[in-house]
Amino acid sequence: MPDVTNEQLLALWLDGRLNAQQRLMFEQRCVDDEVFAQQVEAANNITVHAQHFIEQDVPHWDRAASFTEVKNTPWWHWQGLSGLSIAMSVAAMLMVVTGLQIKVDDGALTISFADNQSQLQIERLVEDKLQEYKTEQQLAMNRFTQSLQQQQLDASSQLTQYLLTSSRKERREDFAELIKFVNEQRSDDQLFYARQLNQLQQDIYTNPAQSGLNSNKE
Amino acid sequence: MFEKSDEQLIAKALQGNKQAWVNLLKRYEKSIYNYGIRMTGKNEDALDLMQEVFISVYRNLATYRHEGSFKSWLFRIAHFRCIEFYRRKRPMEGLDDVPEIESEQIPNEQYIDSVKENKQLIQAMQRLPLAQKTVIELKFFGQFTFDEIAELTGMSANTAKSRMYGALEKLKTLMEVDYA
Repeated sequence: MPDVTNEQLLALWLDGRLNAQQRLMFEQRCVDDEVFAQQVEAANNITVHAQHFIEQDVPHWDRAASFTEVKNTPWWHWQGLSGLSIAMSVAAMLMVVTGLQIKVDDGALTISFADNQSQLQIERLVEDKLQEYKTEQQLAMNRFTQSLQQQQLDASSQLTQYLLTSSRKERREDFAELIKFVNEQRSDDQLFYARQLNQLQQDIYTNPAQSGLNSNKE
Repeated sequence: MFEKSDEQLIAKALQGNKQAWVNLLKRYEKSIYNYGIRMTGKNEDALDLMQEVFISVYRNLATYRHEGSFKSWLFRIAHFRCIEFYRRKRPMEGLDDVPEIESEQIPNEQYIDSVKENKQLIQAMQRLPLAQKTVIELKFFGQFTFDEIAELTGMSANTAKSRMYGALEKLKTLMEVDYA
């Protein structure tokens, strides 16, 4: 059985936490140890005094004086705000001084401190931009060439079409002119022959003998 | 009508309800006042101490975390206020020093308006060092366990038990003398 000191045993008894074994030990020690027994008696005595202690009434005092109106301070009056501001300023200054750079790229967080990193980044950026510009220029040139080719093709096609159309029209006009001329010529011939026939008819009526001659001559 | 719990009164007091605070005071002022009488031995000092305790409690009410009972928290503040009170009154005296009580300083009927038994115990307690007196007060009058006393005062439970054991020895002698 572990040895329990008088102080501990008395404390356990006063707390009302003695188990059966400790209770036996407590009772045995009260019998064997006179000093311990006197301590227990003193504790009992004080307990009785405490139980019979007549509590005195509180004299009149100003209870409300201990109460001060609670003022709900707005959040911007929060006392820690100034400290927080200083901390943020210091942090910002440190970031500037140390050249801290935080980069989030495709979910990866990169923290860099040196300026070299910045120089490299600029070079890489310029390289990227130049490459992009080059590609754009190439594309533009291709587009321009294609456009020019198309334009030339269209122009020559239009010219051919025009030439074909115009020559066909001219021919048609020429033929029309020729037919008109032939028709006019025929009409003139008809008039001439009609006039000749009329002359002949008149000659026949006016001088049939001559006309016979004439007609024979003819 | 149901009586409001300490937590409800505290919550209302924190919202600025003066009546809730006064009700909370009335619930505990007698305990603290009599605690003060036993710890200081004087009614006037007990009243001053009680007022200091409640002012301190009110100032720290917002920090009360509801861990353990309000009574324990209250007596913890009372304990530290009492130590400060002693340091002001007796700046050269340590917590474990036996108080030097001159004949005119011994509490009597002029200071303690109480019955004979009360007076005898209070007088005997005034001859104990503050550390021992605290343990006797919290154990026998506050009904706290040694673990709670340790938590309240900041001393270890073994130290509290040891101080109580020493205090009982002294009280036994002192009260025998008084009875004689």
